[in-house]
Amino acid sequence: MAEQKSKPSDLYQCVYSFLAENKFTKAAQQFMKQTKVTPQDENDESLVGIYDFWVKSPEAKKRKAPSSTAESKTSPSAKKAKTSAASSSSEDSSSDDEAVVAKPTKAAPAAAKVVPAKAPAPAAAIKVASSSSEDSSDSEEEKAPAKAPVKAPVKVPAAPATGRKKDSSSSSEESEDELPAKAPAKAKSVTVTAAKPAVPAKAAAQKKKDSSSEDSSSDSEDEKPTKAPAKPAPAKPAPAKAAPVKAAAAESSSEDSSSEDEAPPSKKPKAGAYSAVPPPASVQKAPASVTKAPAAPAASKAKDSSSSSSSSSDEEEEKKVAAKPAPVKTPAAKPAAKESSSDSSSDEEAKKPAVKVTPAKAAPVKAALAKDSDSSSSEEEEEEEAKKKPAAKVTPAKAAPAKPVAAKVTPAKKDSSSEDDSSSEEEEAKKPAAKVTPAKKPAAKPAPAKTPPAKKEESSSDSSSEDEAPAKPAAKVAAKPKSAAPAAAAESSSDSSSEDEEQTKAKPAAKPATPASKPATPTAKTAAAESSSESSSEDEEPAKAKPATPAKAKPTTPAAKPAAAAESSSDSDSDSEDEAAKPAVKKPTPAAEAPASTPKASKKKTETTPAKPPVTNGKAATPKTPAKPAESSSSDSSSEEEEEASTSAVKPATPAATPKATPADKAKESSSSDSSSEEDAPRRAATAPTTPTTNGKRKKSEESSKSDEEETEVTTPKNKMATTTPQTFPKANKKSSNVPFRRIREEEVAVDPRLQDNSFDAKFGSNGDWGQKANDTLRFTKGKSFRHEKTKKKRGSYRGGAINSTSVNSIKFDSE
Amino acid sequence: MSTGFTPRGRGGFGDRGGGRGRGGFGDRGGGRGRGGFGDRGGRGGFGDRGGRGGFGDRGGRGGFRSPDGGGFRGRGGGRGAPRGRGGGRGGFGAGKKITVEPHRHEGVFICRGKEDALVTRNMVVGESVYGEKRMSIEEGETKIEYRAWNPFRSKLAAAILGGVDQIHIKPGSKVMYLGAASGTTVSHVSDIVGPEGLVYAVEFSHRSGRDLLNVAKKRTNIIPIIEDARHPHKYRMLVGMVDVIFADVAQPDQTRIVALNAHNFLKNGGHFVISIKANCIDSTAPPEAVFASEVKKMAGENMKPQEQLTLEPYERDHAVVVGIYRAPPKDKK
Repeated sequence: MAEQKSKPSDLYQCVYSFLAENKFTKAAQQFMKQTKVTPQDENDESLVGIYDFWVKSPEAKKRKAPSSTAESKTSPSAKKAKTSAASSSSEDSSSDDEAVVAKPTKAAPAAAKVVPAKAPAPAAAIKVASSSSEDSSDSEEEKAPAKAPVKAPVKVPAAPATGRKKDSSSSSEESEDELPAKAPAKAKSVTVTAAKPAVPAKAAAQKKKDSSSEDSSSDSEDEKPTKAPAKPAPAKPAPAKAAPVKAAAAESSSEDSSSEDEAPPSKKPKAGAYSAVPPPASVQKAPASVTKAPAAPAASKAKDSSSSSSSSSDEEEEKKVAAKPAPVKTPAAKPAAKESSSDSSSDEEAKKPAVKVTPAKAAPVKAALAKDSDSSSSEEEEEEEAKKKPAAKVTPAKAAPAKPVAAKVTPAKKDSSSEDDSSSEEEEAKKPAAKVTPAKKPAAKPAPAKTPPAKKEESSSDSSSEDEAPAKPAAKVAAKPKSAAPAAAAESSSDSSSEDEEQTKAKPAAKPATPASKPATPTAKTAAAESSSESSSEDEEPAKAKPATPAKAKPTTPAAKPAAAAESSSDSDSDSEDEAAKPAVKKPTPAAEAPASTPKASKKKTETTPAKPPVTNGKAATPKTPAKPAESSSSDSSSEEEEEASTSAVKPATPAATPKATPADKAKESSSSDSSSEEDAPRRAATAPTTPTTNGKRKKSEESSKSDEEETEVTTPKNKMATTTPQTFPKANKKSSNVPFRRIREEEVAVDPRLQDNSFDAKFGSNGDWGQKANDTLRFTKGKSFRHEKTKKKRGSYRGGAINSTSVNSIKFDSE
Repeated sequence: MSTGFTPRGRGGFGDRGGGRGRGGFGDRGGGRGRGGFGDRGGRGGFGDRGGRGGFGDRGGRGGFRSPDGGGFRGRGGGRGAPRGRGGGRGGFGAGKKITVEPHRHEGVFICRGKEDALVTRNMVVGESVYGEKRMSIEEGETKIEYRAWNPFRSKLAAAILGGVDQIHIKPGSKVMYLGAASGTTVSHVSDIVGPEGLVYAVEFSHRSGRDLLNVAKKRTNIIPIIEDARHPHKYRMLVGMVDVIFADVAQPDQTRIVALNAHNFLKNGGHFVISIKANCIDSTAPPEAVFASEVKKMAGENMKPQEQLTLEPYERDHAVVVGIYRAPPKDKK
């Protein structure tokens, strides 16, 4: 713990320098404001370097387990802390109710953002409850409160949340502090030398404190709300951080940095990021732009995801989300996203950071939730819930945010799928998916949500809130690109940086190239959010197996593609995404990839439940629309793009997610695992469901393609083709070299028709020949009897009759 | 000449010869016979026909007889079932009237009697080579002896009986016989070519080669060569140009072997008669395909196949191919 704690702060300089180096001026400024860091010495190790080291470090693999353990631990603690909330009880119904209640309350506080606020709060509560579900409802509740509190300090909504939950009650800062400490405890973050570890650690810490994940989620939620309302740099950052932490430590950190005061917290989240980095990012953004509400939901989701350890909790959460959360969350999530976008657009400059952060957080939260759900139960449930939510929530504005979330989720799923490896991954993946779904509510599919966010961010990237929000959610990293926005941008930028770093380290490289906003988003989603996950995934991939890498690569690329698609509006995003996507995504091409990715995401979700794909689509569409209205024109475009991106992104995200998932698993690092792991998990889960490892991904992709076929047939086919062909070819090509030796190849010898029968009967003039009698005797004999018969003939006892000396019975060749 | 010959089938000819050459027996008998040249002879005592132990007799008998008339070397005496039948005197029609008419192949005759038989004029009167029957016909004052030629024992005889158009072996011809084995067929070829002709009998197996030598002892027109036919340069000093090459080597590369010898000893426009045993070339392929393949190979060696004939029913999966080597622009025929 202590060690880990030290790390987050130690990394501030790195983060700051990273931001500065990557031209995330605003983010850097915000970050500096909050962290008061001193410029890093040039000679000091860069964040990227750290990330690389971490990725390469053998411990990266080990992190998964720790994360899982940490999560489990945190969840229990959360439960205890939330005993009061316990009433939420293990079951969803109770938790749902509570969540619902909580949501309303929160919503009220959030009021400023109204829908978002409410949505977030409820969502958070619900999510938390659900997330804790196993650990249970208590933990969830507690978490939710905790988160709320954290945020509360900053923003009103947050306060309610904190009030509810003890842990959450602890201020976001505290939580943050704790988070860092916890993060270390989680080991993953600690182990992770790079900044990411720290982030995960933070995330873990948050979770642990309040029920760990829940807390973090709550924090993130709180932060988000706070941000949304007041855009307070500090408050927002904190939430953002929390969210990031849960979702993706790296992202969170980046977000935090971007967020004014939150920078530190965000960093913490980053620490957690490994596990939950991606989610946080999205969450942060979501909260920021949309409103705290989204963040809250996200947080709750995140918590759930963190609690993921408890499968039931996930399910519960999902259910809650679906039922109550769905409405609330969707609003929240969507609001977060949309609002964030909208907010960002409106507030972009001032709030953007915060807003963006919040959205991002929301996304993360959702991701986390998704993860939780995943972890807890099957993805299907989550998906269903997500779908339900989407359906219910479907609201336009929310949809957008939701999409981002979804997008994130998908990434997570991707990771998970890619990794497949551990069940935890799957769970995580599922969780992300679930979360995403919540966020997207309409979309239900996390992947879409995430992608949309990412895309949005990227696309809007520019635009700020939306972009930021989406970007953050999508790829927490993506948020970076948004950097344009102050806090959000900063955060996003930070995320992106982190993401970039991660990306740069491994597949990310491609993404990093895009660095700017787009890359960031894509990477953020896959890489950034997952940054930890990615890094881990990367590590895992190499270490674990090719499948993972392919999956990751694909996922990332898909994400990138989605981002690009989303970016469609914004060139830069698209470009960056494309670049990232290309590098990252192997098969999918920008456009195609995006679709493919979406299909995958949808598939993942669809896999679990067929209905989801449609829902996602619908959700995506709805979200976009809402987002647009809310956000304004920019938001609209972004939202639309986001939707598209989300769909496309979703697919990509899923791939990415799977990759991440593996990392997460490896990294597991505890809470961080939640965010990043969660994302990863979702991804993984997504992939895993269809088929573990790449195959699974491919299958998923195929499935998704099928489901998405309507949307994008091309991409899916490609994916499928790529997947299948490779596998088949090797096997089918073998020829038995065992050919008996033959001097004479019958088929190669042309036999004169007249010579086709060498028998006596076929000979001209055989009838009445001196040898006819012998032929009658010998014709039917074979082997020993033939020898016997012939021997008798040799003795001279043979009587053949008359000999015709004049007949010529031979067959003449042409010449003569 | 072909220097690079792999002695793969070192026993190649030998094998064949072995199979064919009752050499084994011969040896034994020979050894005995020889050993007891005079002594033992008794056993086969009865002269031509007597010897039950055909082989043993051979030597003994030969020894026995040789002192007398020399000519009689009834190698097959014993072995031949004829013993009972042919009886001492002329199996074929012993008492009955028999007529001998020439076959369209010069040097070959057909003995018409109760049963027709292919015969050649015995070059060494009074002596059987392998126990075959002999029949003598008195034409006026001269007594001519013929030896029966069993197609089941000789592929050349089988080919003749089968109705081959040309054997290109006639009185006065110089023939190279590859795969002479024990010399049974060689003895008939020797009869055909007569005193004016020559037969270079190449056999690689020492065991059967011993019988061959014995045959050659009585037949001056036979030049036995115990060498591997794959290495014609080893006996090039013994062989002059020949008119015909008869090959019965039953080796997978027999066509090549024939070609090598043809290149060395066969005159342009000379002929070759090749007996092909399909199972020795490729036992898995249909005989017809094998024959076709061999025919094709010959064409590539300046050996132009002219006719092909199955040896059924005398031999199984055998065929004889007759052709011309370096045929002149104008067919010689």
